[in-house]
Amino acid sequence: MGPSPSGSTSSLAKSRVSMQKALSITNLSFTYHSYGENVCDSIFEGLSLEVEAGSKTLLLAPFDKGKTTLAKIICGVCPKYFPGTLEGNLKVFGNDLSAVEPWQLLSECTYVSQNPQEQFVANSVEEEVAFPLESLGLSQEEIKGRVEAALKHWGLDRLRTSSSQELSGGERKRVLLAVTEAIDARFWILDEAFDDLDQKWRDQLKELIEKGNKTILVLASRYLAEFDKLFDQVLLLDGKKVVSPVRKELLCRFSQLCQDDLANPLDSQVCAPPVMRQLVCTDLVAERRRMSTLEEASFKVHVPHFTLQSGELVTLVGPNGSGKSSFSRILCGLDGYLGGSIQVDGSALSGKELSKKVGYLFQNPDLQIFLPTVQDELSWSLRRRRDLKSEEIRRKVEHCADLFGLSLSDTPATMSYPLRKALQAAVYYLLERPFYILDELDSALTYHTALSIIRDLRQNGAGILLITHDKQFAKRVEQRTYSIEKGRLCAL
Amino acid sequence: MTINTFVAGKGLLYRFDPRAKLLSVLLLCIWFFLPVSLVGLYTVVGLLVLLGAINTGFSHIAKTFLSILPMLLFMVLFMPFNVRDGESLVTIGSFTLITAEGLEQAVRLAGRFIGITYACTLLFATTVMQEVMLALRAFHLPYKAGLVVTLAFTYIPFIAESFSQIAESHSLREAESEQGKRIFQRLKDLVPTLTSALVFALRSIPNLAMSLELRGFGREQKRTSYKDLSSYRHPFTHILLSCIMLVVFWALFRVR
Repeated sequence: MGPSPSGSTSSLAKSRVSMQKALSITNLSFTYHSYGENVCDSIFEGLSLEVEAGSKTLLLAPFDKGKTTLAKIICGVCPKYFPGTLEGNLKVFGNDLSAVEPWQLLSECTYVSQNPQEQFVANSVEEEVAFPLESLGLSQEEIKGRVEAALKHWGLDRLRTSSSQELSGGERKRVLLAVTEAIDARFWILDEAFDDLDQKWRDQLKELIEKGNKTILVLASRYLAEFDKLFDQVLLLDGKKVVSPVRKELLCRFSQLCQDDLANPLDSQVCAPPVMRQLVCTDLVAERRRMSTLEEASFKVHVPHFTLQSGELVTLVGPNGSGKSSFSRILCGLDGYLGGSIQVDGSALSGKELSKKVGYLFQNPDLQIFLPTVQDELSWSLRRRRDLKSEEIRRKVEHCADLFGLSLSDTPATMSYPLRKALQAAVYYLLERPFYILDELDSALTYHTALSIIRDLRQNGAGILLITHDKQFAKRVEQRTYSIEKGRLCAL
Repeated sequence: MTINTFVAGKGLLYRFDPRAKLLSVLLLCIWFFLPVSLVGLYTVVGLLVLLGAINTGFSHIAKTFLSILPMLLFMVLFMPFNVRDGESLVTIGSFTLITAEGLEQAVRLAGRFIGITYACTLLFATTVMQEVMLALRAFHLPYKAGLVVTLAFTYIPFIAESFSQIAESHSLREAESEQGKRIFQRLKDLVPTLTSALVFALRSIPNLAMSLELRGFGREQKRTSYKDLSSYRHPFTHILLSCIMLVVFWALFRVR
């Protein structure tokens, strides 16, 4: 368990392993089935990729260019569960993927999904880790040993009976990494595995990649500083193919694809709020308890002082499970608090009143968009206002769609993730809230797209609280920063 | 898409053998349909709620009752109009609106509904899902069938959880000038919330199927088990105790 010392493998075994290909893809083409009138564009065309056994590969690709699809194809679950047309040859450790079922690959390859929530099958953390080991038919002693080691290594032993809905995003990702470690397969596919993790766990994952004897394929949409010297080969998914130019050219091209070479949209913005408004929290105290575990004392959120003014851009940083989301839910009136006050322009508010002042953009946009067309989504809130005539609603909706680059006739369910995120922001833009909380806006978006959304939301002079794990992104936006650790918030 | 219904605790029910709990719930479901007096029915429901309060706390009871309240109200309000027999209690002109028989049946139906729902809720609140699975397997249910049963019992709370998350997000989208909503508007708002909760739940099905297969579900090899029920030392005593209690309740409250 944990990173195995590289010297533990005998040289003979090493040479045998190094001759084998962990992954071999030749001329892969894939197109998702389309259910509407529009025919889906192909994701890959003539893609070829080889990964040597025991090597560490980083495959960079901008968001929405097929990283997750590729990972699911390699695991044998696409097109099986995500219908599409697949052509080409794929082999994992010599096994032709067209002839094997996903469960047969359990001891060969493990996949950590970008969205950890979608991979949970059991009802508690320890059951989640144990489930694949039961499938492998291991003895109870062996299962217990592996479960204990993995939980301890990923700091989850106190959360063993917790269920996935009680975990933060980072904790969920750690559960999946613990599962991967417990299975101990030869080939690990890690899709944006560094996302959601705070620095401590990123360092641990790096160490695991660096010192372990596994074949690793990391799919990432950001080139992070910590990737330096970690991988044997760095590749780029560009133009529906995998390419491998020299590192300098590769990073330059990747930067172009991610639009990182464009100017920061916030640099040119002059934010002049028509009215100065202020949100102030004083001595705020709240308590949360995980229902499914007795091992943890109730979690307390304490905010001695917090302010957010119109036009301000404030970041909130903190490790996994430190209380960022709990604080956000209190701030937008979704959850109550035990003591202290939240004031907007000097008036103490709570619950419903607060939710009409503070807009909260969830990390998952699909929980906030629910109507058949973009036009329906954008006009839903406006139509409930008695002070607006239909002509004015139409004008506002068209202007908003234009601003966020949306087509009014599009169906949200079939739109790409960045467009759904833009739609979610557009909905809130029309609500004209004086304050917004943006929860991990940068996750699964390019910096440029995320910054453009912030710029648009600030057009009316709103004050914005941005929650992020990405230091590089925080540096591009921050004016002031708050940090939260073990539920206690303080200004940096 | 898995939701944990377990509420951590150390009470009596947590130490009760899962096999006995499972059997008790099944027998209770049958018991509620036996010809027992209304007082007897509600006494058993009351004892069940008391047992729940001791083990999982009042907040869990409140949460359970709030979640079944709309369905309960719907049943209790409409049932009396469907039964036309018996002494008339409320009449409009020559038209009988509510009869004594209709009212009695509505109250009985509500008691049964509360009892069965709460017994099942209590089983899953005091037993971790893997032990429910082991209890099902102890009664010779095949693993795959057991998994389907446990998944079904987590899928309903998953839809409920998705519904409440989506309802929360909808409440965040209310316009600033919007005042207290009328009942009609509230009902109208339920439609998109329900639709999106169902769409969300349906979209999770391929993900669950994918994840189960990636975790080795489907392998021909015999599955082993991380847990067993050996820590419960007195299964037969507990089963016997459950059966005796139900027989006593039957003897006490049956309609003579």
